Amino acid sequence: MVIWLFAAVVGFPGRSSESQAEDQRSLQRAASGDSGGLGALYDRHGRAVYSLALRILGDEGDAEEVTQDVFAQAWRRASQYEASRGTVAAWLLVMARTRAIDRFRARRVRPEGRVQDDAGLTLQQLPSTTPDVASEMVAAERGQRVRRALDDLPFLQRVAIELAYFEGLSQREIAERLEQPLGTVKTRMRLGLLKLRDALVEVQP
Amino acid sequence: MNAAHDELKHDAAAYALGALEPAERAAFEAHLATCAECAADVREMRLAASALPHTVPQVSPPPSLRARILSHATGSAPVTSSDTPRPALVVHERRGLPAWLQIAAMLVIGTGVAFYAQRMQARVSNLEAQLQQAQTLVAAAERQTLEARNVAFRAQSAMGVFAAPDVARIDLAGQPAAQMARARALWSRARGMVFTVSNLPALPPGRVYQVWVVTAQAPVSAGLLTPDASGGGSVYFETPVDILPPTAVAVTLEPAGGVPAPTGAMYLVGKPSPL
Repeated sequence: MVIWLFAAVVGFPGRSSESQAEDQRSLQRAASGDSGGLGALYDRHGRAVYSLALRILGDEGDAEEVTQDVFAQAWRRASQYEASRGTVAAWLLVMARTRAIDRFRARRVRPEGRVQDDAGLTLQQLPSTTPDVASEMVAAERGQRVRRALDDLPFLQRVAIELAYFEGLSQREIAERLEQPLGTVKTRMRLGLLKLRDALVEVQP
Repeated sequence: MNAAHDELKHDAAAYALGALEPAERAAFEAHLATCAECAADVREMRLAASALPHTVPQVSPPPSLRARILSHATGSAPVTSSDTPRPALVVHERRGLPAWLQIAAMLVIGTGVAFYAQRMQARVSNLEAQLQQAQTLVAAAERQTLEARNVAFRAQSAMGVFAAPDVARIDLAGQPAAQMARARALWSRARGMVFTVSNLPALPPGRVYQVWVVTAQAPVSAGLLTPDASGGGSVYFETPVDILPPTAVAVTLEPAGGVPAPTGAMYLVGKPSPL
């Protein structure tokens, strides 16, 4: 089932696993102190990292600093990357989201304190047998397909997902904003993500 | 454990989206370590969530960022271009040479300098051309960045209405022309207005719905709306700086393309609920 999902989602499994293999080689070069490895990673993923930070922060200067932080950390922690926990691209994008949300929240008054800061991707205890295949979908047309799937979600499912992921609100805060019971917000997030996943899987007939 | 499972199994989506508060997260992770069902569920949710970064408008960072990242990360000096070393122009004065030799040397040097100056001239104009080309490219990239930024900014403002501290809610009720229709507007002076509607009747040909923000002065158009097959739709309205607070929000049926002031039948109307 996992293999089938992998093949279904990736669409071009050969090409995607090749690009993951290439990313891993670049990361190994970086881990051994070769800055060319970092440059290669930046060339492949710098734009996606920067775009995500820009979406969250809405400010080019901040987005540049986040991008710089992400690749500085990739350089320092290159040897700690574990392929079993996700692709290199997903690893970089999780770091980007975490840093951008931290920065965004620092600009707001938030008495409740920080919420979960890395989207649940630091999970060591999950026995993961497959890389985070959806994050391989860096090609523009596949990005657009996900965008369309997101746009097609019922309004409140989409809003709940976007408020959580891009605005860094907790599910309780979202429930307050939308004036919905917490249970309803949980359900909307779940239904929305399930539909997104189905849209990803439909990529391959 | 079963009681915990029943309570926590609904948190998988929020967990994958990073939307659990610290205590909730700790409880969920503790449960996750022992529950294969939730672990599998989280994997599915993460699969979907990890696609979200790819839905944002893709914008190229400024070209200078690459060099900054490499020099900052590696702590090495900034990368420089591989210029050929500048030829040194040194004239040694040699005492005690015969006059003819001095003259000959001057001639040789003079010719050399003239030749060198000519080469430098060519190189300078070549560099100028390159600079101009680069400037054109930078200007194009900046324009592109600005456009993408506007797209990103709009998307963010629409979401920002929900996060605005001054958000007010306006529920709209269907009028006789559309009794089943319901709509809600969320208004923030700073962040704009998000309007969502359901159950609107299908449009007659050549007509469009128009959303109005009614103020003490005059109704202001907040946009045109063509409902989807189920009669639903949404409009994001960027509030003008000088607009007065809304006394009502309304939807009318108007000729295609919209009108500057409402003329047609009213389909929905509602007033702000007291905060």
